[in-house]
Amino acid sequence: MVGAAEEAQLNRLETQVDNGGGGAWEYLCHVRKLKARRPDKVLKHGLSILNNAKARSNLGAEEWTLYEQVAIAAMDCQRLDIAKDCISVLSKKFPGSTRVGRLEGMLFEASGAWADAERAYERLLQDSPHDQVIQKRKIAMAKALGNIAAAVEYLNKYLEIFMADQDAWRELAEIYVSLQMYKQAAFCYEELILCQPTDPLYHLAYAEVLYTMGGLENLQTAKKYYASAINFTGGKNTRALYGLCLCSSAINQITKGRNKEDKESPDLQSLVAEALVKDYKKKAPAKLPLVTNTLKSMKLIS
Amino acid sequence: MAEDLVLDTAIRDWVLIPLSVVMVLIGVLRYFVSKLMRSSQLPDAKALKEGQVIIRARNLKSGANFIPSKSFRARRVYFTNEENGLLYVPKDQAQNAQAQMFSDPNMAMDMMKKNLSMLIPQSLTFAWVNFFFSGFVAAKIPFPLTQRFRAMLQNGIDLSTVDVSYVSSRSWYFLNLFGLRGLFSLILGEENAMDDTQRMMQMGGFGFDAARSLAVEKDSLDIIQHDWALPKMEQRAEEVLRKLLR
Repeated sequence: MVGAAEEAQLNRLETQVDNGGGGAWEYLCHVRKLKARRPDKVLKHGLSILNNAKARSNLGAEEWTLYEQVAIAAMDCQRLDIAKDCISVLSKKFPGSTRVGRLEGMLFEASGAWADAERAYERLLQDSPHDQVIQKRKIAMAKALGNIAAAVEYLNKYLEIFMADQDAWRELAEIYVSLQMYKQAAFCYEELILCQPTDPLYHLAYAEVLYTMGGLENLQTAKKYYASAINFTGGKNTRALYGLCLCSSAINQITKGRNKEDKESPDLQSLVAEALVKDYKKKAPAKLPLVTNTLKSMKLIS
Repeated sequence: MAEDLVLDTAIRDWVLIPLSVVMVLIGVLRYFVSKLMRSSQLPDAKALKEGQVIIRARNLKSGANFIPSKSFRARRVYFTNEENGLLYVPKDQAQNAQAQMFSDPNMAMDMMKKNLSMLIPQSLTFAWVNFFFSGFVAAKIPFPLTQRFRAMLQNGIDLSTVDVSYVSSRSWYFLNLFGLRGLFSLILGEENAMDDTQRMMQMGGFGFDAARSLAVEKDSLDIIQHDWALPKMEQRAEEVLRKLLR
């Protein structure tokens, strides 16, 4: 994930480079470091360095890193000819390298030769069975082909070893949600919350899964997680606010007429409703009547 | 000790400078030799997994209060149960870990290579310096020093009357041996400059004992009291919203 300050710096560098202010290499290094995905810019500026023999030789050994970066960017932009050139340069320089083999596999993928890509990855995995990137490529490929079951299977196998990989957990969680396997998704989101206990987005996603599962207990838990998402975002996340409204109205419906004593924090729901109304008043006054009506029908405001 | 010793300029030309140059060259040579000999070892699945398990267990420990207690307990059982828990290491296996490390030929080989690449050139140069240049003064530093520096600067000369600012040739060798790190990091790049002092330190504690750190994580997971932080969050969210609405 990219921090705000780093992204601002990246954008500043980008405008500088775009306007011919130089610093292309710095920009490319930055993109690589932050793992940002801006293939068009990378392709443009990377190529301008690669086509300039002097600038290229100034990079020293970093030249090959740039080739790799440009190759991947080119694949992102569907400029397969450029990617092919870069990769052939690399494979001439590093014959038999796993990293170059990976790029070749990706080129197969980009050109839609799935079977070839699969074969290439399998061969690479035989040499280095614990290469994370190749395993991830395989998962991505299964997903791209619509073979979700295989993607889930690969992901599970991957996570059995690399169980501290947050991105993989997130991917798995999203896939499970798309498959409506909420219990499994909830587990993944719990894992994500453990990795990043104060990330509001994970709390929000977890709450949503719990809310979708339904049942009083889950709803109450979901409400708590919505509340914590509100807490971490300072009440600025509209989705969390709506979620909390929905949760509390659902809870109210279930517990209606039953024991009233454990009716928790009626303040919170009205506060949330108020916050929503205020937010809409400020940012989208045209939609305000709609929101107030909805909230009224949920009996959250009078 | 009134008058200064006069050092022959031939000493500078034939001892001081050659010695430094040779030390630098040997450092560079050794870097390339060790690069050649370094076997790119594949990390094996077990070690990889153990590292990841430890990270995940630590996450669980630090974030425990953010997940419902049911989920926490399920995870704890998953990690620490005595049948197939991830952190549980059977007794007999734990003892064998050390022995296994030694019996693993790859690891022993690697260590030997590392040590050889360090020891051989070092002992050779030391013998060379000792044989040709021992026992005389090779340089003078341009400022006075206290007696305590004698051991450092005049190794190989057992004269207490020589001023401390004179450096013996063998000491010059040692100064180069330990002091060229900065130069190597300039020549070979930052991370490549592994100087001898570091290597010597590394020899002491090689490898980490996975079984032990797994056991440590297991114990600390076992004693965690789960205290769900979320109920408090509702109140805090209320406060946040109150502030927002004000």
